Amino acid sequence: MTRWVFVADLNRCVGCQTCTAACKHRNATAPGVMWRKVLDMEVGEFPEVRRTFVPTGCHHCENPPCMHVCPTTATKQRDDGIITIDYDLCIGCMYCSVACPYQARYKVDIVNNAYGLTKMANEVARDEENLPRKAVAQKCTFCADRIDYGLENGLTPGVDPDATPACVNSCIAGALHMGNIEDPKSNVSVMVEENETFLMHEELGTKPGFYYIWDRKHDADEDTAEGGEE
Amino acid sequence: MDAESGKDVKKVPTYCYNCVAGPDFMKVKVVDGVATEVEGNFDFVEDTPSAGRVCVKPFGLIQKAYNPNRVLTPMKRTNPKKGKDQKPGWVPISWDEALDTVAGKVKEAIAAGPRDSAGYPRIACSFGGGGTPTYYMGTLPAYLSTLGPLDFSFGSGQGVKCYHSEHLYGEFWHRAFTVAPDTPNCNYVLSFGYNVDASGGVCGVKRHADARGRGAKRVQIEPHLSISSGTASEWVPIKAKTDPAFMFALIHVMLHEQRDKLDIPFLKDRTNSPYLIAPNGYYLREKSTKKPLVWDLASEKAVPFDTKGIDVALEGSFATTGWEMGPDDDEWDHDTPVKCQTSFQALCDHMKKFTPLWASRICEIHQKVIRRIAIEFVSEACVGQTIEIEGRTLPYRPVAVALGKTVNSGWGGYECCWSRTLMAVLLGALEVPGGTLGTTVRLNRPATSRQASVTMHPDGFMEYPMNATDKENWLAEPDVRNANRTLVPLGANSPWSVALGPTHLAWMQQEKGPDHWPQATPPDVWFVFRTNPAVSFWDTEQVSKVMAKFPFTVAFAYTDDETNHMADILLPDCTDIEATQLIRVGGTKFIEQFWDKQGFALRQPTIEPVGDAKDMTWITTELAKRTGKLEGYNNAVNRGAHGVPLSGEGYDFSLDITKEHEVDEIWDATCRAASAEITGGEETDGLDWFKEHGLRLKPFSKIDWYLEAELQDQGIRWELPYQERLVRTGKQLGRRLHEKGISWWDEQLEEYEAFPEWKDLPQIWDDAIERNYDVDIKDFPFWLMTSRSMQYNWGSNASLQMIREVASNIQGHGGVIMNTKKAEELGLEEGDWLEIRSPVNATRGHLLTKHGIRPDTLLMIGQFDHWATPYAKEFGAPSMNALIPMLLDLTDATGSSCDLTKVKITKLGGSS
Repeated sequence: MTRWVFVADLNRCVGCQTCTAACKHRNATAPGVMWRKVLDMEVGEFPEVRRTFVPTGCHHCENPPCMHVCPTTATKQRDDGIITIDYDLCIGCMYCSVACPYQARYKVDIVNNAYGLTKMANEVARDEENLPRKAVAQKCTFCADRIDYGLENGLTPGVDPDATPACVNSCIAGALHMGNIEDPKSNVSVMVEENETFLMHEELGTKPGFYYIWDRKHDADEDTAEGGEE
Repeated sequence: MDAESGKDVKKVPTYCYNCVAGPDFMKVKVVDGVATEVEGNFDFVEDTPSAGRVCVKPFGLIQKAYNPNRVLTPMKRTNPKKGKDQKPGWVPISWDEALDTVAGKVKEAIAAGPRDSAGYPRIACSFGGGGTPTYYMGTLPAYLSTLGPLDFSFGSGQGVKCYHSEHLYGEFWHRAFTVAPDTPNCNYVLSFGYNVDASGGVCGVKRHADARGRGAKRVQIEPHLSISSGTASEWVPIKAKTDPAFMFALIHVMLHEQRDKLDIPFLKDRTNSPYLIAPNGYYLREKSTKKPLVWDLASEKAVPFDTKGIDVALEGSFATTGWEMGPDDDEWDHDTPVKCQTSFQALCDHMKKFTPLWASRICEIHQKVIRRIAIEFVSEACVGQTIEIEGRTLPYRPVAVALGKTVNSGWGGYECCWSRTLMAVLLGALEVPGGTLGTTVRLNRPATSRQASVTMHPDGFMEYPMNATDKENWLAEPDVRNANRTLVPLGANSPWSVALGPTHLAWMQQEKGPDHWPQATPPDVWFVFRTNPAVSFWDTEQVSKVMAKFPFTVAFAYTDDETNHMADILLPDCTDIEATQLIRVGGTKFIEQFWDKQGFALRQPTIEPVGDAKDMTWITTELAKRTGKLEGYNNAVNRGAHGVPLSGEGYDFSLDITKEHEVDEIWDATCRAASAEITGGEETDGLDWFKEHGLRLKPFSKIDWYLEAELQDQGIRWELPYQERLVRTGKQLGRRLHEKGISWWDEQLEEYEAFPEWKDLPQIWDDAIERNYDVDIKDFPFWLMTSRSMQYNWGSNASLQMIREVASNIQGHGGVIMNTKKAEELGLEEGDWLEIRSPVNATRGHLLTKHGIRPDTLLMIGQFDHWATPYAKEFGAPSMNALIPMLLDLTDATGSSCDLTKVKITKLGGSS
């Protein structure tokens, strides 16, 4: 069995958005569309404040609410857990977008250029990738084409760059990983086994395929910054 | 050719050096001649500290190349009037006309004599980005070397937006133009505003993430919760510009509560701690040899510091005879015994008053936090332990102190740099595995090796190429417009020295020179490359007005911008992914770039140049030819002025100096010479080889990360804690200036102290502002600061849509950040439109409320003060650059100040 999942180590992420940019390059998403992004979150009140950077996007849920509400069966789940959208079937109703608790989905009715009316050479070159996504739901594909290419060529997704999603490849902090959670010896299984993790909005029962490593001791160690005048 | 798509698809290796924390290596995917994607170069995962990855910035390079707002043909100005309110009236011209016009002006300047009536070079140049433009300017340095004296005085950020004091004091104390923790081996870092996770590059980010992964701790001490505070194990919200007080208290605890845990043998044998201090504050010396004396406990007498087999006293006072050497020819014979303290004893006495309780009242951090941190720092230092590096045993001290911008520049910079270095010295943690390291030299020579720059001074320390302050050799008449050699002895006289300034002095002098100083002249010709001081400096209104008066400015132009708005000729050079250059990589370089490899990397055209943009090497060669400097230029290339000498032992790829050479011909010879150099002459692969492989590396010894090994080998001591040489230098400089009637540098002279005293730094700002602008400082209740952002720092990315898009995920871009409760107290709400006013100027922006900032502090990330740069001028974001007072009063002895001012805010439509 295979289920591809992401693992983000929040103790390592610095919010640099390199993964966000790499995703935009790889997938030629339109201006304003970020299938992968890193949230900048603040918790607490001065001076007891924490700031954490949280990569997110489609969580490729095992129990995906987006798929359940799709009236046209455009949203599907592959055997390996990846949630897909068939752009030919999608009617752009965006029920899925409302249902997704991760705000992972976008819809672009008019594909804007980066600079107004002028379409740059790189935008022209990638029109054929972008146009099928016009006026329909779109989101992270898990770079399924790379995974499939890698498997066809004897490569290991999550290990070999040519078989690995662009966001994971690009991560400069070594925070973002992917692999097969069903394989107990895989990179991601070992990480999940050896670290404290959580799933975002786990209580909603979506069974997301996106694990966050977060050392709760880090949170509890509050004998630290003490502001205020002597 | 891709079989499935039928398209010509290739991935072209090249480098990114957009920031000083580079280079990183990448591949550009090109489909049918169009660049479409950037990705890391995974061929070098094991060989580079960035693991073959690049940060977010180079993902903007494709937009940078195809940006429709680019200047794509040479332009000439048709409106003779210059100014922010004047339209340049650009008219496209041919390259021939543009180059002939520039060459004509250069020839005129040369013909008029190398220096003008004021004694300043007629030709000036400004480059931006902490030296990174060098990696994009092709052979321009070879051409410039043929033009006689040049003035690099006009700064574009140096001194106020760099680690300025660190550059000078760092080089002085440990050959450290930039300083970094030995992060791969360090377990405890005290970071005073060092925002490594935004500005440390891929290497810095990865190494610090790895360190966190193995349990290392970083305590981040700064007024706001920066990116790096977010990733730190602890944030300590210190009051702005009080860092020296915090550090003094740490040293107090180390000396007076933890003394037995310090590295006592190291202090005795490897520092000036045992040197005896005579009554006038200089070392007690043996008159015949002039050698400093130490107290030998065995013989109970003072002996020269390098006497073998002695048991030196670290602490105490001793009555003894000797000789004392002061500034100039001052000397004192102490024929009868005088009481002399050891340097260490004097230090202990000096630091006694700086208790954690004292510091807590200044820093507004509880004294128990300060004490705990000091104790943690000592206990993590592993004093007494050793580690083997490549077969050599060195001390192992996994603790370090890192300083950020504004902490290590301007007033207080000396105190912080001294404290940081001293804290390492007290534990034997300077330049050893795990400790505080220097990573590059720029003022000492040779620039290629920190080790090779080390020689012994007669006093037992490293020599330093101080600018002379004695009567005979002091440069009384400045030879450049920022007078660096005249005013800043520590600035030395390397090719980098002028750019360290005080660079603002060059701008200030154009308006009105200081007393007893010749009125400065504008340069006849000003070259501007990859810099935009009209918005990136301090008091940018004043800087813009000055540059508008320059008679002839040549700007290598990407788009219209605020500086080239004042230019006469625009020359569109290629962007990063359109041109060729070979550079040295690896070894030890800026920030945390210390590698176990070194070699060469190629930047190559991944696409044809857009429009009529030209490779810098082509432009430069044409200028050399048209100004009659071709032979000198070719000679300079052969010497390696562009980065690599073309001949060496057993190989010679020198160019015919009488001929004009194509771009590829020059770089092919350069690649061949580089191949020969790195392989000891065995390989001579040229440009085609580098185009295919991208880079060529060989091992670099990790021993060379640690300067302690070299000092041990040469028997040299670290020049700490006592600063006798600085005091003498300062005294002599003061005498020279006073002999000329100059008293406007007197406050700077006070910085030359044997041990730094606490100066009320916040009060210095308040007083300077009140004195110069006739305001009541109480009307300006907030400190305004800035912080780096990885998306924008260096890189010239403000005009790129994609960068702005992804940067929007990080809070603070585009607004002014205020403490949430403070905003509530003032009746302000998120999104309110505010005017932020300093006594100098005002800016406007939306309010962003955060808990992670002190209530007395405001923060503006990025500096988007653009009014001409397409796209960026539409941001409507506030910028602090126009608000920062550019004053001598706020300039320290190294010639720098801080990105810092006091401001008030007004909710537009009503006061708050």
